[in-house]
Amino acid sequence: MNAIAQHAQLHSTPLQSGALQIRGLSKSYRIEGQPLPVLQNINLDVRPGEFVSVVGASGCGKSTLLRLIVGLEADYQGEIVLDAKRVVATSLERGIVFQDHRLFPWMTLSQNIALALKNHPLSPAEKQRLVAEHIALVNLQGFENAYPHQLSGGMAQRAAIARALINKPKVLLLDEPLGALDALTRVRLQHELQRIWVQQRCTVIMVTHDIEEALYLGDRVIVMDAHPGRIKHEIRVDLPHPRDRTSTVLQGYKEQLLEELVGH
Amino acid sequence: MSRILAKSRGLLLPLLLIGGWEYLSRQGAAGAYAFVPLSSIGAALIELLGNGELLINLWASLARTSTGLALGILSGVLLGVLMALSAIANRLIGPLFHSIRQVPMLGWIPLIAMWFGNGEFSKVLIVSLAAFYPMVLNTYQGFSHVEQRYREVGHVLALSRWQRFRHVLLPAALPSIATGVLHALAFAWVTAVGSELFLSSGAGLGNLMMNAEAGSRMEVIVLSVLCIGLCGYLMTLLFTLLSRHVLRWRNIR
Repeated sequence: MNAIAQHAQLHSTPLQSGALQIRGLSKSYRIEGQPLPVLQNINLDVRPGEFVSVVGASGCGKSTLLRLIVGLEADYQGEIVLDAKRVVATSLERGIVFQDHRLFPWMTLSQNIALALKNHPLSPAEKQRLVAEHIALVNLQGFENAYPHQLSGGMAQRAAIARALINKPKVLLLDEPLGALDALTRVRLQHELQRIWVQQRCTVIMVTHDIEEALYLGDRVIVMDAHPGRIKHEIRVDLPHPRDRTSTVLQGYKEQLLEELVGH
Repeated sequence: MSRILAKSRGLLLPLLLIGGWEYLSRQGAAGAYAFVPLSSIGAALIELLGNGELLINLWASLARTSTGLALGILSGVLLGVLMALSAIANRLIGPLFHSIRQVPMLGWIPLIAMWFGNGEFSKVLIVSLAAFYPMVLNTYQGFSHVEQRYREVGHVLALSRWQRFRHVLLPAALPSIATGVLHALAFAWVTAVGSELFLSSGAGLGNLMMNAEAGSRMEVIVLSVLCIGLCGYLMTLLFTLLSRHVLRWRNIR
């Protein structure tokens, strides 16, 4: 705990950074010469330190939205602006965790996490300390030298979260990070994600299929519609963190959200 | 006991072969000529070890193979990487490379002999060519099949071009490169001995065989064949162990 507090001081970024503005964002792919709209006129304002969940049917472009924000897809209409800078390419200011952990199988857990610090002007000793701190943050002490194939799915995903956090990104993007895990591990990791986010307070946008997960973690839940992908609805979850997953208030939001998604 | 038996299962077939060989060698004079008795092979081994001929020739063949292999692997990896990473290079060099590699190694020997003579240079050139082809093919394969999801991580972590090559592409291609080396090793060894048979100058196991044929010393020929097989087997075994260590991150069960 102490080490984490020190780390926060060391890398202190002004709390106001991490403001994301998306204005009139549209994106289409070309399939056999025909433009296929994936996202249409997305407008979204995310406050610094806010946790936004995005839910919606498959094909509503929610993963594409994250890929655009992180900078893996460059070609888009409209504006994606992070702290007054337009997003044009990938940057260490924006971290992402994919559904598949994407740890490099040829590196040990600590090598994988250390790779994210490759271009930091820190001394090797400082880097080593940061890596150890982040391994502790996600409770993976003792597995530093394990190769990814020796880790369980939940452990690998926690390592991926540590790799995304070690650069202190202004925005952390989570693309169905717990989607491939079993139910029990998922609940445990939701709890850990909440704890980590309360500690780090970076801006988070999480895409998920799981309505309960979206409500449990999000300050806001964005509902998207498909063909073409657009924002359909938005729910503000007025509950302080950390939350109780059995709260009746969450239950009420859940019914509201189900109504919105399934429609009657 | 059963564990010892299980471990020595690989020896069963060779032992049967030796037994059969010895049996055939005792079937009259013709049999003794075609299948030299084990005792004369043993005597030849002691003789050639004693006068140093075996080790000199073995060493010459091994040195030739290693030099050719090193050159072939180096140039093959370089060309394979170039073709995989540059579409222009692939379009320029690809067709030429794929037509040239259809020519069997034996087909090159007369041409190379005419150009460069039958000395050491020609032999090393032939060996390195034999190692070169599988290295280009497997390196190209490895580098062009790096999964998109891993490439994307390299971009997300804001790695430079060189860092992406060093930490993402190269390790991802390494299993394929190792397969290439394994093929190159086998081809290089076979071609080294082959080139010695065709370009008979200097030392080498192939030359030992040619001389033995001229002097109708069947037992020396058989001894050379055994040496070639055993050395090839040991080299493959060593490399397999080495690559298993280097690629220990792979999940092979």
